[in-house]
Amino acid sequence: MSRATQTALVRDDRTVYEAVAGSAVGVSGVAFALGLAALLDVVAIDESVAGIELSVAFGVLLLALGTAVVGFGVTSRLAYVDTNPQPSAGIVAAVAFTAVWFAAGAVAAGAWGLGTVGRLGAGAVLGGIGFATTAFPREDIGSTAPAGAIAGLFGLLLGGGVVGPGWEQVLTGYNATLFGDTVVPVVVLFASLVTGWSAAKAYGGFGARGRNVGAYVLIYLVVGSILTVLVGLVAFVTVKGLPGLFNGFDVGGAGLVRWPFLTNGAGLLADIAGVFPALMGTIWLVVGAVLFAVPTGVGAAVFLSEYAEQGRFTGAVEVATNGLWSTPSIVFGLFGAAFLIPRFGNQKSLIAGMLTLGFMLLPLVLITSREAILAVPDDYRDASAALGVSKWQTIRSVVLPAAIPGVTTGVILGVGRIAGETAPILLTMGGGVLPARSAAPDVLGGFRLSASPPFVSNPALLEATSALPYQLYALITAGLSGNIRNPQEYAWGLALTLLLVVLVFYAIGIATRYYFRRKLHQ
Amino acid sequence: MVLVSMGSLLTAFVGFLLASPWTAVPLAAFLIATGYGWARHQALVARAVTFAMTTVTLLTLGLIVVFIFAESIPAFRYETASVFGVSVPGLGMFTQARWDAVSEPVRYSLLPMVHGTVMVTTIATLVAAPLGVAAALFIAEIAPPRVRELVKPGIEVLAGIPSIVYGFIGFTVINPWAGDAFALNGGSTYLFVGIVVGLMALPTVVSVAEDALTSVPDVMKNGSLALGATDWQSMTSITLPAAFSGVSAAVLLGVGRAIGETMAATVMLAGVPRISEPLVNVFYGYETLTSLIARGYGSANGVHESALFAAGVVLFVTVLCLSIGSQYIEARMRRRLGGVE
Repeated sequence: MSRATQTALVRDDRTVYEAVAGSAVGVSGVAFALGLAALLDVVAIDESVAGIELSVAFGVLLLALGTAVVGFGVTSRLAYVDTNPQPSAGIVAAVAFTAVWFAAGAVAAGAWGLGTVGRLGAGAVLGGIGFATTAFPREDIGSTAPAGAIAGLFGLLLGGGVVGPGWEQVLTGYNATLFGDTVVPVVVLFASLVTGWSAAKAYGGFGARGRNVGAYVLIYLVVGSILTVLVGLVAFVTVKGLPGLFNGFDVGGAGLVRWPFLTNGAGLLADIAGVFPALMGTIWLVVGAVLFAVPTGVGAAVFLSEYAEQGRFTGAVEVATNGLWSTPSIVFGLFGAAFLIPRFGNQKSLIAGMLTLGFMLLPLVLITSREAILAVPDDYRDASAALGVSKWQTIRSVVLPAAIPGVTTGVILGVGRIAGETAPILLTMGGGVLPARSAAPDVLGGFRLSASPPFVSNPALLEATSALPYQLYALITAGLSGNIRNPQEYAWGLALTLLLVVLVFYAIGIATRYYFRRKLHQ
Repeated sequence: MVLVSMGSLLTAFVGFLLASPWTAVPLAAFLIATGYGWARHQALVARAVTFAMTTVTLLTLGLIVVFIFAESIPAFRYETASVFGVSVPGLGMFTQARWDAVSEPVRYSLLPMVHGTVMVTTIATLVAAPLGVAAALFIAEIAPPRVRELVKPGIEVLAGIPSIVYGFIGFTVINPWAGDAFALNGGSTYLFVGIVVGLMALPTVVSVAEDALTSVPDVMKNGSLALGATDWQSMTSITLPAAFSGVSAAVLLGVGRAIGETMAATVMLAGVPRISEPLVNVFYGYETLTSLIARGYGSANGVHESALFAAGVVLFVTVLCLSIGSQYIEARMRRRLGGVE
């Protein structure tokens, strides 16, 4: 334990061992990145690097990494360097390496043409060896030897050209074939992960500190990849969608902005097909859902946290709310179809979609509003009560204003979530694949009063209407075709519009939260 | 006044349930009564109205149960099978594996879809659980405040990307790539649907697990650090065990999300209700419970439509059980941590 503080404090006292182990971590990282690039077809594995094929180069790299990792373990075991290993590498590592070597054995036996029994046998033997080498020796051997061996094995396979660009393996019965193009990068990714972890442990001198470093390397990698995926996704949709979104966009002479993609319908008459009806549909959907869910949710939150005694009733409501929150969206769709549609003219309609999404939004609003109201300090309520203000007055003029930031944030994030929902409106709202501009709902102008029941009607609310996510789904099921000029470009533009609508809600929600939190801490 | 208002609201609700065209009358009466009451006895009316709003959640859950079950009864009747001489409605959905709504014999087995859902959910959990817990550890324990302020909203945004956009990318990019890379007959695979769905379930796991991790009292962590343990040791032997139930609740909720995920599966899968051969073949992609409903609903009628509701019932009950289970676990953890402090 004392060593942990030593190395942490004395930063520039790096031994050669640590430097080598550190660079092995770095090389593993480079190998990981290259493997990823090869998997995504950025580089081809039969490209030549410094005179040799990339896959052979990968093999050499893995072999070197494997040797180095085993070397770290041996050097430490023979006490050439001052490390702090524990008696065993631990049960987690042992199980992991057993699984890895079991898989390696089973695959190898399969490649040799052995049957199921042979595969299981070979897997069991190698898995057993893997378990024994990991669990029984001291930690420095246990966490390097199996790791180095697997990397070395893969290195030999790639470097020796056994698995390479032309390699392929038919998976009989699975109706699939493995090609070198996919297998080589995957193998490189996996092996570099293992060597990176192992080398990081060696860098930390094994023991508690080594495990710390090893785990941190993996966790940073995980978080890095999640963020990369996120940025990659958004960037990909943006790049693909921009041409469609800005098709025919220009800022006219009198300061007028022409944006046909957002203001046109998609009929035969429109010169540039646009998404106006679906955009209006989404806006009205959100408005309707908010009008239904926000007052209800906030009111319920007020009752639960201010009036109700904690007991059976509040418990039941809480369970029901959380249950509703995790109910699959398609089930809400079924519910809307069975409950709302027969009550609103027996056809898919805008109002059925609004209410279905309102039901989905309700638990989100309730949960966040309740949290916000509970977060208002009791001092506020006590001070107000001490002034002789009645309970309802306190709630109205003290509690609710203090809770508004939290409620707003929750509502905005919830709206972002339901604006992108497809499954419920697929069953309740419908609409055309490529609606013309005239199909856009005109809710405000649609109200009619009549002398016979139901007295108030609004044909715009009772018609099947398109919305952005639904239209994207309908386009996909129509095979990305239709009587518009460039359906592919149109669909990507539509996807980008939808993504932007949702992300804008999220950005506003997160910014609001950030703003109010800073204000609160001032 | 309150009685009039609540009474007319109840009448309006009953009228709506009965699909009566006169629903607007009691609704208007409610609005007038409440409006008048609001002006005269605000506190009383506010209390009554908020109470009515609170019952809406319970009511919604109840209505979902009633309506989905009611619609699925014909299918359960149709698929009655007898076991030990007792005929059990709905058993036939799980004792044979044929789903065919068109050609004779018309059978509605849910087994192929349950198999698909299990495959997708398993793969998704393998993706979402370890990555999600690692990311939650990072946000709750490792990241410096500045980085946390960046990563946390990032994960939230990941939750915000609409499922149909994932599905669209899967359909236009991943499916063709997979079909090419593995020489598949068509590109729909449980493997990649599972990975995509796992990515979508990830934010749920992260945010719930992070809540659980941060709710572990700092006293416990500091005590461990003061004894000379490394950060990682404190995490694995103090924070994670203390928050274990919360973290498993997070994983359960993530599983619930993965089971209920619809659009990506609908768009990426081939839509053949069949069980893949061999059972664990991840390179086939036929149908899940959710995609079955989404794909089939518009064109189905009669017993077929009812069978889709039956699939909804299976989904709903499974996810509700997961949700209640995770709530129970969380409540237990809160009690225990409360006792420790």
